[in-house]
Amino acid sequence: MNESRRTIEVKVERTIAASPGEVFDAWLDPKTPGNPWNMAEKLLMNPHVDGFFYWLIKGNSHYGRFTEVERPGRIQHTWMSRSTLGEETTVTVTFKKQGEDTVMTLVHSGIPDTDAGRGHEKGWNYFLDIFPEQFGKGSPKEK
Amino acid sequence: MLGMDHLTNVLTAISHPTRRAIIGQLAIGPARFLDVAKPHDTALNAVTKHLKMLERAGLIERQKQGREVLISFRGEPLREVAGWVHEYERFWNERLDQFEKHFKQKRKKEKKR
Repeated sequence: MNESRRTIEVKVERTIAASPGEVFDAWLDPKTPGNPWNMAEKLLMNPHVDGFFYWLIKGNSHYGRFTEVERPGRIQHTWMSRSTLGEETTVTVTFKKQGEDTVMTLVHSGIPDTDAGRGHEKGWNYFLDIFPEQFGKGSPKEK
Repeated sequence: MLGMDHLTNVLTAISHPTRRAIIGQLAIGPARFLDVAKPHDTALNAVTKHLKMLERAGLIERQKQGREVLISFRGEPLREVAGWVHEYERFWNERLDQFEKHFKQKRKKEKKR
């Protein structure tokens, strides 16, 4: 085992305009746009504890096992793909009620920190896409 | 990996049009302070502040050459910022943006009824 291998964690949060139960169900429903299963070329999925998924996208196979399925608050599954170098990574999604909405937090942890994953060119494109919106006008407090 | 404080410094530094213009100037080659300040319609002390922010982010460095101090551009922090965006960061952000949009449209339709 290579103990010096560095891993990273990606955390993404959104406020979804629906109740936690609706959001939970939609996240596991391949017909809902925005969840990863929706864009599958082929999908086999059994979203129960110890159920497996096989997900094919752009010719890349992904595999995983559901480890926690607690409606409406939490889903956790493992995630393996070419990008994880065959390592088992973990995706945890939590749903918390906030008024009429749901705060959805997705944490993908244990991802091997490789140059390929960081894809500098892709990173640049992404960065430049968001740049005008986020930073183009400058900070309003400064002159 | 790029530390969050350093990342914040770099993003703050490039968030202002004047500082981006200064980066553009210095990317061509090193320059003296007054040459950096000349094209900008702003007070010299404001230019000094901008340069301090760029320096804190590691985007410029000052080098003494005889009596003069030359300011030059360093590109490394920008490359580090680019590398900070991992493919999974992009992937999950795109997915959740679409997911969020789907529910926004759904709620809009429901309110119209």
